[in-house]
Amino acid sequence: MRSNPHDYEMVAPNSLQATVSLLASEPGVWLPIAGGTDVMVQYAAGNLPARKLVSIWNLPELRRIETSADEIRIGAGSTYTDLRKNEIVAREFPLLATAARWTGGIANQNRGTIGGNIVNASPAADSLPALLAYEAELILVSIRGERRLPYVNFHTGYKKTLLRPDELIQTVCLPRRFSQYISHARKVGARSAQAISKVCIAALGRPTDGRVEDVRIALGSIAPVPLRLRQTEQAVIGRSIDSALLLLARKTAMAEVRPIDDIRSTARYRATVAGNLVVEFLGLLASDRNAVEHRQSNDVLGRWNLLPADEAATAILSCCGSKGWTRGMVARRPLADEDALLAASEETWRSLAPSDWMEAFHSHPRIGISRAPEPPSPQSPSTQSVAWSAQEQSNVGDANDAVKIALADANREYEQRFNRIFIVCATGKSASEILEILQRRLENDAETELREAAEQQRQITEIRLKKWLRR
Amino acid sequence: MTNSRESPGKVEIAFTVNGELKKIHAYPMERLLDVLRLDLGLTGAKEGCGEGECGSCSVLMDGALVNSCLVPVLQAAGTSLVTIEGLGAGSELHILQETFLEYGGAQCGICTPGMILAAFQLLSEKPAPTMAEIREGLSGNLCRCTGYSQILEAVGEPARRRANA
Repeated sequence: MRSNPHDYEMVAPNSLQATVSLLASEPGVWLPIAGGTDVMVQYAAGNLPARKLVSIWNLPELRRIETSADEIRIGAGSTYTDLRKNEIVAREFPLLATAARWTGGIANQNRGTIGGNIVNASPAADSLPALLAYEAELILVSIRGERRLPYVNFHTGYKKTLLRPDELIQTVCLPRRFSQYISHARKVGARSAQAISKVCIAALGRPTDGRVEDVRIALGSIAPVPLRLRQTEQAVIGRSIDSALLLLARKTAMAEVRPIDDIRSTARYRATVAGNLVVEFLGLLASDRNAVEHRQSNDVLGRWNLLPADEAATAILSCCGSKGWTRGMVARRPLADEDALLAASEETWRSLAPSDWMEAFHSHPRIGISRAPEPPSPQSPSTQSVAWSAQEQSNVGDANDAVKIALADANREYEQRFNRIFIVCATGKSASEILEILQRRLENDAETELREAAEQQRQITEIRLKKWLRR
Repeated sequence: MTNSRESPGKVEIAFTVNGELKKIHAYPMERLLDVLRLDLGLTGAKEGCGEGECGSCSVLMDGALVNSCLVPVLQAAGTSLVTIEGLGAGSELHILQETFLEYGGAQCGICTPGMILAAFQLLSEKPAPTMAEIREGLSGNLCRCTGYSQILEAVGEPARRRANA
């Protein structure tokens, strides 16, 4: 139920001093309100316990951004728009600039403040992992004076902080020593705009000679507080960036987070995504020129594990022409060895929808023909895929003309009946064996035949993955 | 700001709206949206969600787009407000109002004032925005009729007109 404005008192002192005096006069009674993007939502819903509010919106002492040689000092009343417009933030603190851009729409960026975001203490807040990664320090102010403390200790539990009832956050200080680090910010949510994160990451790292020289990893929405993953950081610092490290980092990160099930996601999903995001970040470090030597290794899988997602997808498309499958495979990286690769392929393949299966089927040539029919997608079969098809079907070419004609007829019948090309794992099979299989499968009902075709495609993919590893 | 004699708890608050100085008596925690609509009769800003998600209550406060449902009126004291009613010059439409008409950017009309004001702020900072910038600039404004394509086109049109002039 909506609140009645009659029940609320509100004042707007014109200085920070007057504000902290008021807070000190009745500690815990006056609720500071800046841009109102949280407080007014509670108010509208009738959930605002405080009855006395003190406006700190636009207090000049809180709304300024200053820089010195070694740090930037952001007034707690600075809005997301202020952050986005600040050149030093844009240049040296991309994690924070990105988080500011992610937060709400423009109207909320014009009103929401960094201090408000910290005090509101939502574990899902997008800007807080960035502050952890940059090792922010906070200056808190009260009538008793100022105190400065590391931000990493500020959140003590769900919506609990070290802020005393008479205190305000005055300034957020970020050291400028990370400007040369590679940064990675990613938010996983239902949409890219105006959606609260299911998981978000802010990470910084510096690779040297293929090793992780230094790293900071912070995540949101995976614990009661925004969390810096110190164990994961320790596990990777000094190590060379290879598949083993990615596996270790994923495992450590998944064990370190403490997610919950809620309306937006499940704990299991969040932990998995957290692991993936850490792996993605390390892959980014590996792709930096300082780590370049590793990319030249002969280990096909090791290199593939570290490729950017789109390149990794293209690299394995020749093994199975379904983009759903390539996406699933890329998401399951890093894969330790051939067994893990084949297991991931099988799991991915079985999880796909029939439409994804169809896409894979249609990337093959009809048995007896050397290239695929009209490609169903803009992605025509790769040269590699065409070459493999020719190898797989090499026995068919040796058949006599009668078998070839019978095969062509049966193929046509199959296509009319099931509306797609006939898929069989042709490796090692003669034309007459294939003909026999084809004629048997023409008797199948649609459901059975779809499963059988999918199983054949699974076998084809497995054979191709093995070839791909040994290229 | 002084205590008003008429009603205990109410205060006098002054701001300019669409260029005119206004003095009102209101509880400090009244929503700017309600004051605009009920006290000043400016019903262009609409209440959609009432929690800052939909943007239909957007107005400009000192040139910055805000959700007026989330602004306690006391925080508007001393500011300069622009609502959709003040965007055109008298009976002459603002160019964005024209292009929204031309492209069918308004269907049921609930989101339209907010959309136009969000577009206005965008164009005042980026006079020739890319489509990605338009999408981002309007990302806090929801259209329940889902007529987004026409809206995006309408926002891009002023720059196209200038380029072709």
